[in-house]
Amino acid sequence: MKLTNLIGVLFISMICSVTLLAFYGLIAFSQQGADLTLLSDSYFHAILLFSIKQALLSALISTVLAWPIARAIYYFPTIYLKRTFLSLSLLCFVLPTLVLITGFVSLLGLAGILTPFLGDNWSLYGLHGILLAHVYMNLPFAVRALHNQLQNIPDTSWILASQLKFSPWQRLMLIEWPALRGNLSLIFGFITILCFNSFAVVLALGGGPQSTTLEVAIYQALKYDFNIPEALTLAWSQFAIAGLFFMLLYRSSSVPWLAKDANLKQWLPRLSTTNKVLFSIIYAVALLFILLPLASLLPGLLATKYSSQLLFNIFQSLALTLALGLGTAVLAMLLAYCIMLPIRNSIIVQRQQLQNILQWLANHTLIAPAMVLSVGLYILFLPIIDLDELGMIFVVLLNTLIVLPFAIQQIRSRLIQFDQDYAILYRSLKLSFWQRFTIEWPYIKAVIFSTFALVLLIAMGDVAIFSIFGSDHLKTLPWLIYQYAGSYRINEASFASAVLLFVYLVILLNIEKVKSDA
Amino acid sequence: MLEINQLKITLGSHALAYQQHISSGNIVTLQGVSGVGKSSLLLCIAGFIRPTAGSILWQDTDLCALAIEQRPVAMLFQENNLFEHLSVLKNACLGAEYRSTKHAEATVTEAAERLNIADQLHKLPTELSGGQRQRVGLLRTLLRPEPIILLDEPFAELDSQTRAVAAQWVADIAKQNNKTLLLVTHQEEDVKKLADVNWLLT
Repeated sequence: MKLTNLIGVLFISMICSVTLLAFYGLIAFSQQGADLTLLSDSYFHAILLFSIKQALLSALISTVLAWPIARAIYYFPTIYLKRTFLSLSLLCFVLPTLVLITGFVSLLGLAGILTPFLGDNWSLYGLHGILLAHVYMNLPFAVRALHNQLQNIPDTSWILASQLKFSPWQRLMLIEWPALRGNLSLIFGFITILCFNSFAVVLALGGGPQSTTLEVAIYQALKYDFNIPEALTLAWSQFAIAGLFFMLLYRSSSVPWLAKDANLKQWLPRLSTTNKVLFSIIYAVALLFILLPLASLLPGLLATKYSSQLLFNIFQSLALTLALGLGTAVLAMLLAYCIMLPIRNSIIVQRQQLQNILQWLANHTLIAPAMVLSVGLYILFLPIIDLDELGMIFVVLLNTLIVLPFAIQQIRSRLIQFDQDYAILYRSLKLSFWQRFTIEWPYIKAVIFSTFALVLLIAMGDVAIFSIFGSDHLKTLPWLIYQYAGSYRINEASFASAVLLFVYLVILLNIEKVKSDA
Repeated sequence: MLEINQLKITLGSHALAYQQHISSGNIVTLQGVSGVGKSSLLLCIAGFIRPTAGSILWQDTDLCALAIEQRPVAMLFQENNLFEHLSVLKNACLGAEYRSTKHAEATVTEAAERLNIADQLHKLPTELSGGQRQRVGLLRTLLRPEPIILLDEPFAELDSQTRAVAAQWVADIAKQNNKTLLLVTHQEEDVKKLADVNWLLT
């Protein structure tokens, strides 16, 4: 095996070791395995059903609603603020959950701006609150992914369709549907996994035992009862079910939702006035849906009593957030690239099974319960090392593992595309690894930078891992927001959220710039 | 000596067989109707197709036992010979180790002048015509140090005048450096101009 492939395999082994160590930490501490009697308990059935139900419903609503919106911006490319809309869509996906929840509470909570118009029975908490937050985060992701698929339809297809005088139905069935068909199930599956493993949204908006997911139940079993056998049963169950979804998902390629938007479509079917109006309405509703929770932070922002202490706290936390995020993003990109080396090689030599195994292992942290990873390692290392001193290293390491699947997914298509185009050529030229890398770099540079920014944003939003390994004197900005919100200082929470939002927007605009420059 | 002994390649249900001994430094033109297995033979020698039987010996070493990167072979494919995002000059310098960047550029420029593409070196491959792209690939393949050169229809997109110039350059470089060259062609003039041996596949 080549040294470069060996390094990739070594990194994959290290990731798997971390997961194994975490489970070992929990098992060794409790000195017993999972509590299997829980599997026949009605409490377990209820949370299992709820976890699956909310995940499937969130994915279904997000995917189904995304289609008309993606069509609107595809068929009406000159629609007002289209690029901003696509950037905002990315923002929704990476937005720290606490910022979103602060926005939703200001908008639809007990004293929310819109709550008086929603009737007496309205409550943000429970299934519909969870669905609303999940759809908010994932619908724009689905819109971007579907829009990218539609952009891939070649102009020649539309020219031919118009030459053959296709009806709108024929265009839909013979051109649009085949372009989307493969990816619809992928997008649906990806959102299902994300929502199935959702933690912060369900914790904040779950509203009691009827609306609890496995991930939150693991957290409760560990935090309130310290019932490790129960937590292990829940964790294994989550691992198994999410793993099943994941295996089905990974049989196909990844969803190219960060792909460069091809804005140079020369040929599209002409839109009737009715269609233009219809698409404009759909688009406006979607834009409003995205903007409202963000805009609802404004009243709190205006009501904040600014003090130098508040500003100091916020900017100190911001600096720590950026430092931890950058460390995580650099490490994640390095790992992702190295891990892709043996995966790419297995594709080139057509070893499908090896490719699947490596990919599954490399991405397994997407489905591994983050709470189990954090708590398991915490328990394991607590007696051995000073976690107060070294906690931040664990925050970076664990966040790296959590964002790694996103990094791999985003760079994977481009790297495989490079191999498909050039593997025969670079092998024939007998290039060394470094020579190959210098040739590859201009080809992958844009996707590497935009993925770097994406994983930076996801890592910056972390609360779960920081809650275990973070320190009391140094706080990240999301953690500070959580503390403000927890002590009912909603105005300060809104201000801190707005600062974080601003930083996110700056980074996002840079992602878009890198992509358009590429 | 390049010895192709009882070599068999299976492509789907189609079986191809080859037998030939080629002296070092010879230029061999490969001819035959489409689908007879000319390109497959070159790909097999380069290591991109695995034979089902037989051997390919070069100076008594079995090439089939070597990885692509270890074979003493430089190949020009029918298409996709250039990295589209790198300049022509950068593409042309790949695959050979030059003393310095200056030396690489001087060597490539000298060859490019003979092939009438010197003014194209600082462009991207997408800005070149099919014939110019083909000459860039050809130039790079011949400048590589490997003793076995495989060219799959290297002149297919060239007009007759450019074709004659390119063929002469190939012959000069191959003879000057004692390269063993296998060249797929459908043109009789290439055979007349270049071939020490013409191998007709049936």
